[in-house]
Amino acid sequence: MHAIVPPYLLRRLAATDEPHLAAAAEAARATLATPRVYHPSPATIDLSVEGDALVVEGSPDPDRVISDAAQRETLPGTRVRIEGEPPTGDTAVDEAYDGLGDTFHFLWDAFDRASVDAAGGTLAATVHYGERYDNAFWNGERMVFGDGDGEVFEGFTVSLTVIAHELGHGVVEYSGGLDYQGQSGALNESIADVFGTLTEQHALGQTADEASWLIGAGIFTAAVQGTALRSMSAPGTAYDDDVLGRDPQPAHMRDYVDTAEDNGGVHINSGIPNKAFHLVATALGGRAWERAGRVWYLTLTGGTVSHDADFAAFAAATAATAAAEYGEDSEEAVAVRTAWTAVGVTNGDPRD
Amino acid sequence: MTHETEPEQAEATEATVVVTVVRSGGFAGLTRRWGVQAPPADAARWRTLVDDCPWHDYDDACADQRADDASRGADRFSWTLHAMLPDATLRADLTETQATGPWRALIDAVREVSGAAANASS
Repeated sequence: MHAIVPPYLLRRLAATDEPHLAAAAEAARATLATPRVYHPSPATIDLSVEGDALVVEGSPDPDRVISDAAQRETLPGTRVRIEGEPPTGDTAVDEAYDGLGDTFHFLWDAFDRASVDAAGGTLAATVHYGERYDNAFWNGERMVFGDGDGEVFEGFTVSLTVIAHELGHGVVEYSGGLDYQGQSGALNESIADVFGTLTEQHALGQTADEASWLIGAGIFTAAVQGTALRSMSAPGTAYDDDVLGRDPQPAHMRDYVDTAEDNGGVHINSGIPNKAFHLVATALGGRAWERAGRVWYLTLTGGTVSHDADFAAFAAATAATAAAEYGEDSEEAVAVRTAWTAVGVTNGDPRD
Repeated sequence: MTHETEPEQAEATEATVVVTVVRSGGFAGLTRRWGVQAPPADAARWRTLVDDCPWHDYDDACADQRADDASRGADRFSWTLHAMLPDATLRADLTETQATGPWRALIDAVREVSGAAANASS
């Protein structure tokens, strides 16, 4: 039972015989009669003494469950490591476990968000999905990682940005979602990349200037001519390979790619909002999650972005968030407006 | 790296069955293409693989599935299949969860042949 009225008040209400409180007394007695269910939630508690006061500080701990699909395409697979258990020796299992932990701690430290669902929910992942399966995805409930085909991809759990990207999709979904098609889909992808890079930067203690801004570094085999799948600082430059071709991401609206493939180019045109975020973060400097990330996160979770939002709508929403949080003429608000103009989404002022 | 058989290469006029498979999306957003042109001696096997797929039913039967797939999850693959037969040209656009059963059998067969051809030529 989750109760907002404390039990001692319920007991006093239940005991009253005041006629005008009869309905409340009955409701209180019914509430007290409801069986209570205890929902334990893992947490870290720090106790300290300051003067005469005992100070209790708590932060939630993750609840991770890693499963092994054993090269089949059946989910969830067999549980192989749960919260608190030691490393298994299986690289993919342990990388997924660690990556989920890093992402959980980032979400809490940066945004006071307890897990993907903001309610301390279990983080579930499946590794070794399929035979030579060269993908990682979010299925609406869990992250799923293939082992790669050995020709293009080595595997996916090696990169924290990939793990955090998939969890980012979960945060988007729990925040109301963005339709996975066209510009709203590209925003969905871009926000997942923002979570991906910020989680890595947070784990490495990097500032915006120190970060690589690469998504998926290290997942290509040595045969591929490329450093990563995407570059948020320089979209379109992550790889240039004789078989895969050149990274097709645009960094400006004038190069927006109209295509029916990839759900309308959601992984291609995400380069535009990715570049906008990079511009905001580097203009403000310091730790990117503290101001640029905060503006993006509050925009995503603020309830003002519709599920079919286009780039212009999201730009206006981030500008409004920055102005509301920091002031209309603040450094943050100016950086946001300038960035969206720089990538061609707005023509001078995203509030227009 | 090995090279896949591009669909554009699979257009010999004497071929009786030509199948191309395009996979887009996924976390990487990479589009990859495989193709096969069946020589007359092997056409019957490929014709069976093609005929096993519900080309004419999938639109109605799977519309709800496609909508459901689009509403949850991210980074899944999308598949587009083309089959050119002497008497018909067929196309199907499938989500990853739809690409099962006979669809998956056809996809895997095309990819296997494309890979074998690429390895033989590399």
